[in-house]
Amino acid sequence: MTGTQEHTALTRDQLLNAYRTMRTIREFEERVHKEFATGEIPGFVHLYAGEEASAVGICSNLNDRDSIASTHRGHGHCIAKGVDVAEMMAEIYGRQTGSCHGKGGSMHIADLSKGMLGANGIVGGGPPLICGTALAAKLKGTGGVSVAFFGDGASNQGTTLESMNLATVWNLPAVFVAENNGYAETTSSSWSVASDNIADRADAFGMPGVIVDGFDFFAVHEAASQAISRAREGGGPSLLEIKFTRYYGHFEGDQQTYRADEVEHARAELDCLNRFVGRVTQTGQLTRDDLAAVDTEVSALIDRAVGEAKAAPLPTAADLLTDVYVRY
Amino acid sequence: MVGDAIVGVTANPLSGRDIRRLVTQASVFPMAEKANMIQRMLTAFGAVGVQRVLLSTDLGGISAAVLRAIGRHRDRDGIWPDVEFLEGQPIRQTAQDTIDAVRRMVAAGAKVIVCLGGDGTARVTASAVGEVPMLPLSTGTNNAFPVVREATIAGLAAGLVATGAVPAADVTSSAKVLEVRVGDRTETALVDVAVCTERHVGSRAVWEPTTLTQLFCTFAEPEAIGLSSILGQLSPVARADPNGITARLAPSAARQVLAPIAPGLIAPVGVAEIEPMRPGDTHAVDATAGVIAVDGERELTFEPGQRPEVRLRGDGPRCVDVPAVLAASARLGLLQPGRRLAGSAGPGHMPPTSPSTLRRYT
Repeated sequence: MTGTQEHTALTRDQLLNAYRTMRTIREFEERVHKEFATGEIPGFVHLYAGEEASAVGICSNLNDRDSIASTHRGHGHCIAKGVDVAEMMAEIYGRQTGSCHGKGGSMHIADLSKGMLGANGIVGGGPPLICGTALAAKLKGTGGVSVAFFGDGASNQGTTLESMNLATVWNLPAVFVAENNGYAETTSSSWSVASDNIADRADAFGMPGVIVDGFDFFAVHEAASQAISRAREGGGPSLLEIKFTRYYGHFEGDQQTYRADEVEHARAELDCLNRFVGRVTQTGQLTRDDLAAVDTEVSALIDRAVGEAKAAPLPTAADLLTDVYVRY
Repeated sequence: MVGDAIVGVTANPLSGRDIRRLVTQASVFPMAEKANMIQRMLTAFGAVGVQRVLLSTDLGGISAAVLRAIGRHRDRDGIWPDVEFLEGQPIRQTAQDTIDAVRRMVAAGAKVIVCLGGDGTARVTASAVGEVPMLPLSTGTNNAFPVVREATIAGLAAGLVATGAVPAADVTSSAKVLEVRVGDRTETALVDVAVCTERHVGSRAVWEPTTLTQLFCTFAEPEAIGLSSILGQLSPVARADPNGITARLAPSAARQVLAPIAPGLIAPVGVAEIEPMRPGDTHAVDATAGVIAVDGERELTFEPGQRPEVRLRGDGPRCVDVPAVLAASARLGLLQPGRRLAGSAGPGHMPPTSPSTLRRYT
C-alpha cells in the first residue's frame, strides 16, 4: 500500500469534544450577534456561524506544537485552537481582562501560548505568518505544523500566492485552508476568483489541492488529518478548499442585498451541527442526553463570559503604552 | 433558426478534486480544462450540424469560462451552435445541481446528454437521463465507467447521434446498474457497490481497502482502475455480459489480489467467496452497520436492523458507443465534404451563433 496515513475512527471523547467546540462557537456567535445589536460592543464583528465544521475539523487534528493564523472572521478559529472563551468575549467588549487587554477587539484576538497567531484585519495577512512559524518548526525540529485559514478574497492576494510558493520551495510543514464561503465581503467568489475552484491554484505550486464539504465535520476532519500528517512527516504543504456558507453578513449590520436564499437552505438542509448530531446519534456513538448536557454546559459558559465581560473595566489612558514593544 | 438537433452538456465543477489528491497523488483536473473540453466539443457539434446546446451552470467557473469564450469566439475558429445556459435554478454545489440540469435537458428535448466528470458524476447523470442516450467523458478520479477520450471526438459522436445522421438505436446500448436499498432510500451504481466498516460518509472517497467487507460489480475489467479492479484480476466480467459479480472481502482471506483501487493506490485485498450476480436477483449485505459506497463514493450509512439489499438490473442508461458512431460515420461518409449528412442540414450549413445571442450572455 502506498503512503497513506491510516484514518482511525474518532473516540467518544473526541466526538464529544468536537461537538462541544462546534456548539461553543455557534453559541458564542449567536450571542455576539444579539449583543452587538444593543450597541455595547465597539468596532466591527464578523461572525463565523455556519462555518464551525471547518475550524473544528481542522484544529481537532492539531496540538500545542502547532500554530494557526486566522482572518477577520476569527472567533471560530480562536475557540477551536483553545483560546479562553471568557477572555475572548472580554476582548470583543474592549475590556482589560480580554485576551489582548481590550486593545485589539474582535479582529485582533491572539494567544501565542495556544499557538493562535491572531485574527487578522489584513486580507491575506495570515499565510505569510505561518510560513514563518512553519520554517521555525522545521529548523528547530519541533514537529509542529502551521495552518493558515484565509477566505476566497484572500485567495486572490499576492501574499497568499507568495506564501504558497515559498511553502513549496522550502517544503514547509504548512497547510493552507481556503474557507470559501462564496463572498469576499459582498463580491461573489464565482465572479472574482478567476480559477473559481481555489483548490485549482495548488497545482501551480506543486502541492495537492482538494475540495472539502465544509458542512460536514467528518469530511473536514478526515481531509485535515491527511494534510496535517503529511506536513508533519515532511511531505510538504497542501491546500484544502472548504466550501460552505456563512450564516450572517460580511459584518454585523450588512444588509446582504447580494444574497439569495442560500442561508435558509443551508440552515435547513446542511447545517454542520445538525448533521453531526444526526450522524452520531444514528450510529449510537453519542446519545441525545450526552449532547444536551454539552448544550447546557456551553450555554452557561457563554452567559458567564458575557456577564464577566460587561462587568470588567475598560483600559485606561495608562494602558496606551503597554504591550507596544516586545523585548527579545 | 433553432431546430431539434439538441445536445445537453453537464460538467461537474467538483469532480477530480477529492481527498485522493492528498493521499495518493491522483490526477488533477482543473476547471479550465473542463471548460476547454466543452469548447472543443462546441466546435465538433458545429461541424456536424448540431443546432442548440444546453449547458449546465455552476459556481465552479466552467459555464462562466464558456460564456467568456463565446464572447471571444471568431467564426473562423469554427461555427458553434447556439448555446443556452441553464440558468435560473438554485445552485447548491451538490449532486442535485446535476440532476436538476439533466432533467431540464431531457424536458427541453436533448437528443444526447454528454456528462463531464468521474464515476460519481456519471452515476448521478444516469439517474436523471431516462431514455435519452448519455455520453460520459472522464474528468474525475476513478473512471471505471466514463471513458478517457478526446472531447473533439466525443463531440463529433454526440453530434452525429443528436442530428440523427447516425441512428441512436444502432450505436447505443443499455448499461447494467446495481440498485441498493437501505430502508426507504434507493441508490444506483453503474460500476460497483462496496460495503465498508466506516461509520461516516466523511470525505466520501473510498481509499482504505481494509475497511471493505463486500463488493458488487456490474462489470469487472482486468484493466480497470477502482474497486472493480479487485475482481477484474480474479474473475473478469465484460460490460456486455448480462451478469454481474459479487465477492466477500476480508483482509485475512487466503486469496489476495494486488488491486489498483484508486489512482496511485495499489493495495493487497483479501477476497473470500466470489459469486455471479444474475439480473433481478437480490443479494443481502452481510454487515449489520457501516457505510455503502456507490461507484467509489461513500454515500449511504446503515444501522442495525436496516438490512440493505443489492440487485443487478439490465435496464440502466443508454450509452453512446463513440467508436461505433465514428465507424458508422466512416461507412456512410458523413464526414466527407460534399456529401450531405442524412437527416440534417449538413456540415457548414448552420448559421454561426448570432450576435443577438451573444449579447444575451456577455
